[in-house]
Amino acid sequence: MSPAVGPAPGRLAALLGLGRGRLVPLLLLALAGLTLFHIERTPLAELQAGQFDRYQRLAPRERHDEPVIVVGIDSQSLVDYGQWPWPRDIIARLLARIGEGRPLAVGIDAVFAERDQTAPARIARRLPADQAALLAGLPDPDKQLARALAATPTVLATVGLSRELPGARLPIHPLPLFRHDPALEPRLPQYPSALSSLDLLQQAAAGEGLINATPGRLSDHADRGVVRRVPTVALLGQRPLLSLPLEMVRQALGGGEVEAEGDAYGMRAIRIGDYRLPTQANGEVFLHYGRSTANYYLSARDLLNGDLSPDIFADRFVIVALLGTGLQDRVITPLGDNLPGVDVHVQVIESLLDQHALRRPAWLPTLELATLLIAGLLLIGSVPILRPRLAGLTFVLLAGAIVGAGYLAFLAGNWLFDGASIALLLAPPFIALLANTLIAADLRRRAAERDLQRSREEAARIAGELGAARSIQMGMLPDPAKVLQGDPRIDAAAILEPALAVGGDYYDCFRIDARRLCLAVADVSGKGLPASLFMAIAKALSGVLMRRHGELGKAAGDIEIELSRENPSSLFVTAFIAVLDLDSGEMEYICAGHDAPLLLRAGEIQRIDTSTVAGPPLCALGDYPYETGRIALQPGDTLCLFTDGVSEASDGNALFGSERLGDLLRQLPPGDVDLLCCALRDAVRRFEAGLPAADDLTLLVARWQGRPAN
Amino acid sequence: MKLPAQQRDGTIVVSVSGRIDHATSEEFSTALAPLLDACQQGTPALLLDFSCVEYISSAGLRVLMMASRQAKAQKGSFGIASLTPLVQEVFAISRFNLIVPCYASVDAACKVLGQ
Repeated sequence: MSPAVGPAPGRLAALLGLGRGRLVPLLLLALAGLTLFHIERTPLAELQAGQFDRYQRLAPRERHDEPVIVVGIDSQSLVDYGQWPWPRDIIARLLARIGEGRPLAVGIDAVFAERDQTAPARIARRLPADQAALLAGLPDPDKQLARALAATPTVLATVGLSRELPGARLPIHPLPLFRHDPALEPRLPQYPSALSSLDLLQQAAAGEGLINATPGRLSDHADRGVVRRVPTVALLGQRPLLSLPLEMVRQALGGGEVEAEGDAYGMRAIRIGDYRLPTQANGEVFLHYGRSTANYYLSARDLLNGDLSPDIFADRFVIVALLGTGLQDRVITPLGDNLPGVDVHVQVIESLLDQHALRRPAWLPTLELATLLIAGLLLIGSVPILRPRLAGLTFVLLAGAIVGAGYLAFLAGNWLFDGASIALLLAPPFIALLANTLIAADLRRRAAERDLQRSREEAARIAGELGAARSIQMGMLPDPAKVLQGDPRIDAAAILEPALAVGGDYYDCFRIDARRLCLAVADVSGKGLPASLFMAIAKALSGVLMRRHGELGKAAGDIEIELSRENPSSLFVTAFIAVLDLDSGEMEYICAGHDAPLLLRAGEIQRIDTSTVAGPPLCALGDYPYETGRIALQPGDTLCLFTDGVSEASDGNALFGSERLGDLLRQLPPGDVDLLCCALRDAVRRFEAGLPAADDLTLLVARWQGRPAN
Repeated sequence: MKLPAQQRDGTIVVSVSGRIDHATSEEFSTALAPLLDACQQGTPALLLDFSCVEYISSAGLRVLMMASRQAKAQKGSFGIASLTPLVQEVFAISRFNLIVPCYASVDAACKVLGQ
């Protein structure tokens, strides 16, 4: 094992490879499904909320007109009319001014839970009796406010409390008619206690509405929670109460019945008169915010001092709220606006009138879960059979399609489909799949590299062995020049070129004694390694037997018998073996199925006549009685012995042939036999014109010069 | 290599074609083997019609030599007929006519072998 592959990556790879690489991704997908199912309990909830906020920022709710006006007790009002809490007669005056405009309904985003501090009766208690009597005749501001409240349909605020506080007081105007399935009640917000206004004021008001908001967790924003959802209805002391803005609408409609659509699985919508608003299971409305504007904010001061005509309130809703610095509550909206809390009420009224809210019904998380599981299984099915690059592209496209579907669903119907969390949760199974694919690809590549290296080494080894075999074979062949050592009677040269690394041809040239020289050319049937082994045996054997025997034909017979003794592959050898008397020029020869050598005499080519003496190749029959032929050479005669690597060299169409060889021999300058040999070889190679040699090529050229005169 | 065979006058005549060289000799040998196995004493003689053989190398000759030996060992009759001039020359040089019986034509061979 290579040192780079430690045991730990190996274990990881083995783990990822379980179940054909699909077990770990399946487990991760199951985990992802569990996470998505319980997303509210995971940090992903914030990611989801953030994604929904992005949808809203992309397409905020359009605000057509301004059905709600906020009369703000702002800083300028405090400057002119003194610190908050104002004496309630001033508030009564303010409400009376508003009432002159005949609004649809008025809401007051404040709770008057205690008696007015500035009530003359209260001040009188601190004064001597005579002065107190003077004050006693003055009007009670709380009563003045109660009268103002009664003059116009007004809704007071109530704060739901999760526990009893000192001064707590339940509202006295629960919904008179609340049609609903009692099974959904456990899903609604429950407040055992509440902070409401004085009984006197409650009785004077037309109704009361809840002002509790449901801000997201504080961690959602640096300073306060983002208000995404607000309750529509809650149970206060087990009695139903609408939120302030909805109660205002109900009052404007004449205080009719309210219906909660839904069942044991929770609420689906709230219906007030003809207006219907989709809700979450717990009755909260997922607000689709419109862009904030200051257009509908008026100052209480302008109204009190008569700068502003109340006509503007006609057929509108009016909310009185504290906007003075330090007095107001501020909220962050999903659009990123930092607004007074009262703006949420305005947005709720507008939403109800438009019957428009973001939609995330109970089945939508189930759809998201199904999408996650189907997409995950799709990846688990496809990634292992795709190439890594294509697998990556598949994931990007799939995740992109899911995220895109979320945006499309929002733009088309304000559906809150969380594509981002699905895409994110798909990542771990995909990474496991891809890792396994990459590991598998890497292992395959390494295995392929190992195999390649092994085959290279094998090839190199064989090439090396063949190279060694070739040099051994070539070393067996004698150099005629060395054998003859400048003998003036004869010149000889030879060339042998195997068609493959090693071959089955051989030639021989050795002295039998001072007068006699043996010349031989032979060709083992076939070529390559098997032929070369037989060639080595044949050459050694024929050399030995030729040296021992005086009689050529008998020697050939012995060679055949010895070679045939162990010849399981039935190879045979064609051969021409000659013994030349260097003094006399007498030459004896045998021919065993071999091409007759050429003889160049006085510029004419003739063939050594083998027709009468030639026998079959050695080892073909096993016991052929070879006959010996004889010829007398004349001084200057040139002998050319060759194998079929010459005569059967092919240019693709024709064979080189012995006639072409003879013509060349005649035409080439007679000179040095070495050069002649090379020239003949080059001619054959030119004829083959780059084609691979068909067979081993052997040429042996010898020129008998005759006996020197001395 | 395909070796179409037909019976004629008590002789199985097999048509051989193409080049029989180092590259194809193995194939030739394999194709010939079942025919040779059937060439026994008392069975029809086996005759190779060489009229379509363009060239034969020493490797091809070796196949013929072994075929001839096998036939002889099984006491069957085996021969070659209609050698093209080039193949005839190869046979002449290598004296293979001493090893495998050669006939000038298929008809001539059938007359001799069919008896």
